[in-house]
Amino acid sequence: MKTLSSLKVLVVEDEALVSMLVEDMLTDLGCAIVGPAAEIEEALRLAGSADIDAALLDVNLGGRPIFPVADALKARGVPFAFASGYGEAGLSDDHRGAAVLQKPFREADLRRVLEGLVGETA
Amino acid sequence: MAGVLADSEARDSDAPDAGLSPAALERALAEEIRRSDTLARVTEAVASSTNIDTCVQVVIDGAREISGAAFGAFFYNQLEPDGESYALYRLSGAAPEAFADFPRVRKTALFAPTFENTGVVRSDDITQDPRYGLNAPRQGMPEGHLPVRSYLALPVATRRGEVLGGLFFGHPLPGRFTARDETLLVGLGGQVAATIESIRLTAGAMAELTERRRAEERLKFALDAGGMGSWDLDVATHAYEASDLCKRNYGRAPEEPFTFADLIATLHPDDRPRVLAAIDSAIRDGADYDVEYRVVLPSGELRWLHARGRAAQTADDGGARRLAGVSLDITDRKRADERQKLLVNELNHRVKNSLATVQSIAAQTLRSSASPEFFREAFETRLIALSQTHDLLTRESWAGASLREVFDVELRAMAGEDRVTFAYEADVRLNPKAAVALGMGIHELATNAVKYGALSVPGGGVDVTWMVEEDILRMVWAERGGPPVTPPARRGFGARLLERGLAAELSGGVELNYDAEGLVCQMALPLRALEP
Repeated sequence: MKTLSSLKVLVVEDEALVSMLVEDMLTDLGCAIVGPAAEIEEALRLAGSADIDAALLDVNLGGRPIFPVADALKARGVPFAFASGYGEAGLSDDHRGAAVLQKPFREADLRRVLEGLVGETA
Repeated sequence: MAGVLADSEARDSDAPDAGLSPAALERALAEEIRRSDTLARVTEAVASSTNIDTCVQVVIDGAREISGAAFGAFFYNQLEPDGESYALYRLSGAAPEAFADFPRVRKTALFAPTFENTGVVRSDDITQDPRYGLNAPRQGMPEGHLPVRSYLALPVATRRGEVLGGLFFGHPLPGRFTARDETLLVGLGGQVAATIESIRLTAGAMAELTERRRAEERLKFALDAGGMGSWDLDVATHAYEASDLCKRNYGRAPEEPFTFADLIATLHPDDRPRVLAAIDSAIRDGADYDVEYRVVLPSGELRWLHARGRAAQTADDGGARRLAGVSLDITDRKRADERQKLLVNELNHRVKNSLATVQSIAAQTLRSSASPEFFREAFETRLIALSQTHDLLTRESWAGASLREVFDVELRAMAGEDRVTFAYEADVRLNPKAAVALGMGIHELATNAVKYGALSVPGGGVDVTWMVEEDILRMVWAERGGPPVTPPARRGFGARLLERGLAAELSGGVELNYDAEGLVCQMALPLRALEP
């Protein structure tokens, strides 16, 4: 089984409580957290230049769609998953088929998705 | 004729005949010419009457003139409500009152031949007729009846034998009606029947036409009121007829031509195959045509239409000849549907986010709880704090809330809410997300103050001050008069939420200072992250 230990994960999430939960889960999984970013500008900056292995993206940041960040990650070849209350229905056509974590999700779901992401690029 | 009775020989001898003096002959001839003229005039008037009243009146007046009858009447072959008497329709030679007080004409032996169309009854003296006076209670004419001796009654019947009524003539003197009178009047009766029938047919046709026109107007009004356009497609020729409203649905003015080809061209390309398939299926299989589709108007505007129709009038070969129906602009409904879908999606998103928030509160409360009792108490008060901010936002349709309102709802449940003082120049509007985040942060501050801080002892208080400086909200929560403060060994949920979570979410800075005289929380939050 792939290990997630010391995997550097960018977290983009604009709700404090949800962000804290995700951080706790990632910490439990042994990952290192990059961010969290609550705003598109910060998220774009980190997605473009930070040292990251994967990313978890809230689909909607204060009413603004996350897709530019997803595009930037795609361009860099960084695997990512969306976290969304909308499920897959909230995705733009470009990103349909991307990994999605439907909120609320369990730590085991997060682990499975991250392993899938890392496996893809391994 | 079957019903003919005794002839009036005396008067028949008045007819032009040999053996009379030239003067008498001349008088007789003049009389015959007069009757002939009268007959021609009456016939003409009857033929040209357009209503039954006039027609009947002309006939009984004219017939009296020709026959010399004192009285004439027309009875309809229409039973009165009593079921046995006939309705008097028109009278000549007597005022209507003359009949008003008398019992109605019944189908007695005397009247039966007329209403059954078995023949003319002509009598020189009706009181001598064997059928006269047979009926109870009066055994003859009632007292005060118009004095009738000479009597002539003839049916008015159509050529198909339908008896429309009867013409009755009378004279107080016996022997007044001749066979010649009878012949002329029978001819006139035929005219009357034909005219009445024709008037009835015309009236029937007119009534039907009026009714159809009314029905069409009703239909048009209903269609217009309902915003429905109507259309009709000739299956073989593809000739297409559209009402003004139907044209409007496709963005055409009433005077503009609008063909079936135009219709197809107006359909949204993505919906075109579906609409054409529905038309085919309606024509081929007789399926109901019921389809919703988009059209692109000549102006470029996109509208949604709903068309319903049915193939009608089967052609000789068994196929449909026409497809006809209505179309309705349903753009508003479609937009409302889309809005509804969006709202439901948004609601689902919010619910799922709220569940994730609750999940987070539960997980973190559990981490810092020494016992299940402590967990329950802390978890429940946090849930209620969250719920109170939601209530506040719901009251304002989730448009936002003010900072002071958020403080008020979170402090209301706390003991000593009156020990919190506020100082600020202006309240600050918060977007829903900021309101929820700050509500949770304020709840943590207040809970801590009540349990361990300034509000845990009598005399302690909290001063809340804020100001906006260069688009930054600077807010201070300063506790005073509480027990001596020592920094906690371990950061709890509240501290983490405030310093890390809230600060990150609102793109600002939050700092907790455990000053000896009281906890101080300072926030510096950019307005752009707060304002709706």
